[in-house]
Amino acid sequence: MENKGLRKYSKIVAIAVIVLVVVSFGFKIADEHSLNLNSDSINKKLTVENNNLLTEKTSDVNDVKNSMPIYGNWQNFTSKDGLPGDKAYCVRIDGERVLVGTHEGLAVYEKGKWRTYTTEDGLAHNGVLAIDVSEQTGDVWLGTMGGLTRWSTGKFENFTQMNSGMPNDLIYSVICDGKEVWVATGGGAGQYDTHTKRWEIFTEQNAPMHEPWTYGVCAGDGKIFIAAWGGGVVEYTKKTKQFRDYIDPDGNMEIDLFPDDGVVHDITTGVSWADDYLWVATYFGLSRYDGVRWKGYFDHDSGLASNFINFVKADGPVAFMCTDQGLSYTDGKNWVTYTKNKTDKNGKAIITEGNKKTELAMTPSISHNFVIGVDIKDDVIWLATSKGVSRGELLK
Amino acid sequence: MKKARLLIIIGVIFVLGLIVFFPGRKAARTHVNYITAVDDHPLSCTSCHVYTSENKWVSKMVNEDYYSPFNMAVSNDGSRLYVVAQDMDELMVVDTKNYKVLNHINVGIHPHSVILSKASKIAYVSNQWSDNVSVIDLVSSKIIDTLKTGNGPAGLALSSNEQFLYAVNVFGSDLSVINLSTKEEIKRLTTGSNPTGTALSPDGKVLYVTSRRANMAPYGEPLISDLTIINDSTKTVAKYLGIESAYMMENIAFTPSGDLAITALIRPKNLITSIQVERGWMMNHGIAIIEQEGEGRVVQLLLDEPNAYYSDPFDIVITPDGKKAFVSSSGTDYISVISIDSVRTIMAESSPKMLKSFSNNLGISSRFVLKRISTGSNPKGLTLSPDGKRLYVAEQLEDKIAVINTESLETIGSIDLDGPQRITVARQGRRLFNNAGHTFQNQYACYTCHPDNHEDGLVYNMEGKNMGRNVTNTQSLREIGGTAPFKWNGKNQSVYKQDGMRFSAILTRTEPFNYDDLDALVAYITTGIKHPPNLMYNPDGKLTESQKRGKEIYDRSVDNFGMDIPENNRCITCHPPPLYTDLQMSDVSTLSDTDDPILFDTPHLHNIFSSAPYLHDGRAETLEEIWTVYGEDDKHGHVNDLTKMQLNDLIDYLKSLRSPVYDDGKLEVQQGSFIK
Repeated sequence: MENKGLRKYSKIVAIAVIVLVVVSFGFKIADEHSLNLNSDSINKKLTVENNNLLTEKTSDVNDVKNSMPIYGNWQNFTSKDGLPGDKAYCVRIDGERVLVGTHEGLAVYEKGKWRTYTTEDGLAHNGVLAIDVSEQTGDVWLGTMGGLTRWSTGKFENFTQMNSGMPNDLIYSVICDGKEVWVATGGGAGQYDTHTKRWEIFTEQNAPMHEPWTYGVCAGDGKIFIAAWGGGVVEYTKKTKQFRDYIDPDGNMEIDLFPDDGVVHDITTGVSWADDYLWVATYFGLSRYDGVRWKGYFDHDSGLASNFINFVKADGPVAFMCTDQGLSYTDGKNWVTYTKNKTDKNGKAIITEGNKKTELAMTPSISHNFVIGVDIKDDVIWLATSKGVSRGELLK
Repeated sequence: MKKARLLIIIGVIFVLGLIVFFPGRKAARTHVNYITAVDDHPLSCTSCHVYTSENKWVSKMVNEDYYSPFNMAVSNDGSRLYVVAQDMDELMVVDTKNYKVLNHINVGIHPHSVILSKASKIAYVSNQWSDNVSVIDLVSSKIIDTLKTGNGPAGLALSSNEQFLYAVNVFGSDLSVINLSTKEEIKRLTTGSNPTGTALSPDGKVLYVTSRRANMAPYGEPLISDLTIINDSTKTVAKYLGIESAYMMENIAFTPSGDLAITALIRPKNLITSIQVERGWMMNHGIAIIEQEGEGRVVQLLLDEPNAYYSDPFDIVITPDGKKAFVSSSGTDYISVISIDSVRTIMAESSPKMLKSFSNNLGISSRFVLKRISTGSNPKGLTLSPDGKRLYVAEQLEDKIAVINTESLETIGSIDLDGPQRITVARQGRRLFNNAGHTFQNQYACYTCHPDNHEDGLVYNMEGKNMGRNVTNTQSLREIGGTAPFKWNGKNQSVYKQDGMRFSAILTRTEPFNYDDLDALVAYITTGIKHPPNLMYNPDGKLTESQKRGKEIYDRSVDNFGMDIPENNRCITCHPPPLYTDLQMSDVSTLSDTDDPILFDTPHLHNIFSSAPYLHDGRAETLEEIWTVYGEDDKHGHVNDLTKMQLNDLIDYLKSLRSPVYDDGKLEVQQGSFIK
């Protein structure tokens, strides 16, 4: 009996030893394949983080095997650097200059210097929420908290609900579409024909909206898409002047009950169209529509920083989402998210491919995690955040 | 017996005649006194009942069809002069050697300008009332294309590579950029207000566009009118250059070297009382010189002299050697000859402070004006022969082209366009309307404040003694014949009264018009001034869906809540068609603290879209503001129940209102009272 027991325990010990040896080989092999990191880097290790995804940490962008663009060399600007205020709402790259809408006016960055324009210069209101530039005329259209301003080579012209047919002075979004200018306002969407000088208003009275509050507008494929608060996405076909709407089919306001059945939520905050895809931002996740199928993305099943999306901008195949937890962008499969540490100016970029995550240290990182606006041109990205403006360069 | 009976009949007729004559004459006297507001106007029934008649046959009998040359261009070999005959809708081809009209080419309605391609093979004519440009093959004298533009094309220019045509849209306040390959407008750029003239710099880099109206600003603020500078390569606006205290910049020209651009302008003193005209202080006329190099200074110099003003400068051309500029003063029938070198000297020798003071200096013209050359009535467009030796002057109300030797500065000939030799009463009235000779020191003509017989968008203090009180927005004179009474306060029951004795006492500060001239002026104002077609908002008389909804609101008697709207507070009551005025006085609750307590004459609403600012003192910059800002108490129509969309519909309908002549095909009498 004793021999039997001894044999039994010795087998367990032997198995345990073998397991330990094997496991130690595993660690050894992993060590042998570790990256050569510089002194600032964090040693590479495998760990298990949230969402059961494996995260790999690195500080060398060249180690990232990813088709997505990676931005870095962040340069941040606040009121100390010449911005009229820290709270920035929107950003637009316009040739050699960058236009930033802040709570204290329009800031223009040109040749390394900031210049501010306010109501004293002719702006309708200092709170500039949206900017677009007409490709045809070069005119800058500024959506503010107190009206729409056309800024044309130094001349300001204001449209308000009092002096024009514009629906409402609170303008969340503005786009130029040929000779027309569209605005998403607190009192409906507005279409301004710059040739005939006529306004047309679209609200729940003449369009499939839940209420007149609109947050975003974009153009693409001969259509205008309007992010309507509580009304999902309203699509306007320019040729037929007909509307249709896209709302969340499951109608659930708490969760997206049935995945990919439509827009993830009826409360939409932004729309952007590029490369035959319509991207829809909500405070409850992201949606993509290819004209036939909808696809939903959430922070728990993708690389999205947060479901609370303030703004979306599509640039070619990539959509950039401004969230309350940082900036994310995706091509629909791969993700990159930028966040900033709470305690210092540094942060990281999290690159997600399938279930693999790689972290890239950012020193410094973006200005603030509450990102409200983004624009991209060539190798440069600009962000508007609730505490400053960030400029990043394409690293890869 | 028969003879006695005949005598009795004659006697009865004579007695009856006497019975009718004296009271009849008394009644006629009373009538004429009422209309003319004087008691000594001749009892001439023809004054009103013939010359102002709108009867088709009577009108044909008393009026004539004039050509009214407006703008011109010369072929590059100098042999042909192309003349825009504005009132005949023609481009006339003139042989400059024999002074003969060779051809008449029909173009669109109310043509404005003509330019030629560099090879002089193609002419482009802007048709202001057709919203298009006629493209004419000058070899065959045929229109080969018609290019769509914005609203009211006026000045034209070709891009430096001649692949694009720029058309200045006077009613739309923008510039159409037309690709001549595709014949399509590729973009429309916003310009200053009411633009007309344009010129491309000699290096082909920038295009300047003038504007005639000042930027909208509250009464009391100085005027600023914009020169719009367009980048020819990018075809975008490079700059809006604000010209201070000036408006009515009709045309502009560059020196051949391109160092200066010079535009004609008027400096109105609308912030002071009009009675100040007797101090030589109401309207000044001059030029603005815009430096293209160095500091880019903008200098304004007056063409006026201390006791002789040169009103309503229209066109400017500069000789190929860059030595002389010629400016047509259309209100005084003169060409001012400017020494460009003297202008350069003034600019070089003067401090910024001195230069600024020259903009109000009546003596400065003696330092740069070489000569004043007298012309026929109402000189408008100018053009120079390619060698610069001849200046052609379009004498609009003479139907002639004056030819001036630019070296001797003498008039050497006159090209008669073979228009009617008879000067009709209305034509005489038009001449008076456009001439400043009846104003103290020739300071201004009726046309000055009523350009294109419309209004200049300014607010004036017309009071003689009550400075700062009762300021009023200039009113349009288009088709006002049937809209008496006149003035905002309705005190003038007729145009006779408006332009008679009181006119001279308050405005012109000289002798009043004699009665023949007054008859002529009234005939022109009441019958000869038509609205342009409202092609922007109502091109064919068919209302849009929005305008139809707006019309329902305009006509309504019940508000959104089902409540009856009092009859006197409905749009349709005070502004009934076809004139859109009930000719009555009303209180619309817009009196200001500085107004006398009066009722307002209800204005007509034809082409109301082009009459900003609004209300009697111009306080409303847009139609919307009449009700959003100044309609709180619902006394100017019952509107506060309207949604924003409904208000938009209402305004859309208001903007569609146009002259009834376009609805019933009666567009027969045009500018200058000629019959088509």
